[in-house]
Amino acid sequence: MYEEPYRWVEAVGNRRTYLDEQFRQGSPVVALGYDGGLLLTTVSKGTSKLYEIYDRIALGGMGHPADLEKLRFTLLEMAHTEGFNRSPSDVTGSRLVKYGIAPVIKQAFEEVYKAPFIVRILLAELGQKPEKDTLLTINYDGTFEELKEYAVLAATKQAQARMQEYLKAQKPSPCALEQGLLLALRTWAIGSLAHQQDSAESPVDGGPEASRETVASIPDQAALLAHLREVLADKMLECAVLERQQVGSSKYRALKPAELARLLPGDVQAVVNR
Amino acid sequence: MGMQGDFFQLLKEQGYQFGQPTAAGSGVDLPSATTILAFKYRDGVLVAGDRRATAGNMVMYDRTDKVLEIDRHSVLAIAGVPATAYEMVRILEHSFKYYRRTQLQELSFEGKLRAVSKLLKENVAAALAGTGAVVPVFAGYDFEQGAAKIFFYDILGAEFEGVEYAVSGSGSPTIRGILHYVNTWGERPLAVMTEEEATIQALRLLTSAAEFDSATGGVNRESNLYPIIKLITQEGVRVVPDDRLKPLFESKVVRHA
Repeated sequence: MYEEPYRWVEAVGNRRTYLDEQFRQGSPVVALGYDGGLLLTTVSKGTSKLYEIYDRIALGGMGHPADLEKLRFTLLEMAHTEGFNRSPSDVTGSRLVKYGIAPVIKQAFEEVYKAPFIVRILLAELGQKPEKDTLLTINYDGTFEELKEYAVLAATKQAQARMQEYLKAQKPSPCALEQGLLLALRTWAIGSLAHQQDSAESPVDGGPEASRETVASIPDQAALLAHLREVLADKMLECAVLERQQVGSSKYRALKPAELARLLPGDVQAVVNR
Repeated sequence: MGMQGDFFQLLKEQGYQFGQPTAAGSGVDLPSATTILAFKYRDGVLVAGDRRATAGNMVMYDRTDKVLEIDRHSVLAIAGVPATAYEMVRILEHSFKYYRRTQLQELSFEGKLRAVSKLLKENVAAALAGTGAVVPVFAGYDFEQGAAKIFFYDILGAEFEGVEYAVSGSGSPTIRGILHYVNTWGERPLAVMTEEEATIQALRLLTSAAEFDSATGGVNRESNLYPIIKLITQEGVRVVPDDRLKPLFESKVVRHA
């Protein structure tokens, strides 16, 4: 069936449509740099979506939990054996992605007889100096991007673009953890609302035409937080940091609800305490 | 496989070899590290070691750190062949991290003890061949029990709890007796000593070990060389800095005629 090249191209195209559809219910992931390190935020239901990979590397993911687990283990194995056989400073996000999981994801995506990985992955790497901090995103087809300052994962391209625009416009420099956290929550809500809109307006991916109108109107903070409150009624806010000042070699730390509440202003605390 | 969160197993699957005996080693003077001690004091456990590494009659190195941190709440103090001991510590450090990151929970204190024991068992052949004997003391904070604990091992990997204290290395017979004496008939038992009292005891014990054991390095004031002393409490592992040891040594250890 796929012997002819155009058949294969068609099959890969179908695969994109299928995969895009799989992310519709997914929760966005926001990562950004703050003055003490890097912050990752998402909202999850049951299973966690933020993980520690190595001393200075954290992972945020979207997609199928089993696929995410498989790739997480691949990353953990690579990072730890490399860190042991060479040195922890030779374990970098860039190497893990470029020579590690990106080729694996791409191969699975293009082998149309086999199941692809239903994942989007974000790797945050805390550099020895703030200017070396790196954020990497990998899509389900194996394409990856290396970013600074902030990065997001979202269900659709439109939602992703809206979150990035929002971060670009709103992110202060320098940015304290309190500011960063609040901004990350608002950005998450922007992405989540965009998913809802995209789904409502274009049940089968209507393209940029359908959502162009809504790009301009960014909801205000109250509306964003109201959305967050609504979502968190049956879901869980997840935040983790890679802290430069953390004692010892492991820099990853998940923020507990009590700490989150302390970091957020009074009117937002209710969102977390749900 | 990886799902067990066993890093040592993963290494072995990739062809890593640990504890291989080397027949040619028996005639060579191997480096070894010498006096380590651990005892419980009021706030937790104190672990200390001298700084000397020797090979036969030769002093190899005078700045050895024999009290190695494996994670925020545990240390392995080493006596024996440093090459093997350092490798063990590297394996343990990565194993504990790997377990936590894959299984999404800390390895239990008992699990950590087993990991040390397992490595020693793997090392038996090398230890008996004379190329890699290590006799460590493991100390850490056990969160399940809410207490800092001490364990010591033999070269075959058997583990014993040091209820009050544990010692290892060539200088240990000297200080074992002193620890027993101080703890039984001293003014205050070790377990109620403050951090400062415990630190003074550790300095005195290591100085005594250096007095009678040529392979144990004493304090070298000219070079500003003091023993390594680490404290384990609920908050984690903390190093007693040299600028704290120096005045204590001057005022409480040096004998003024």
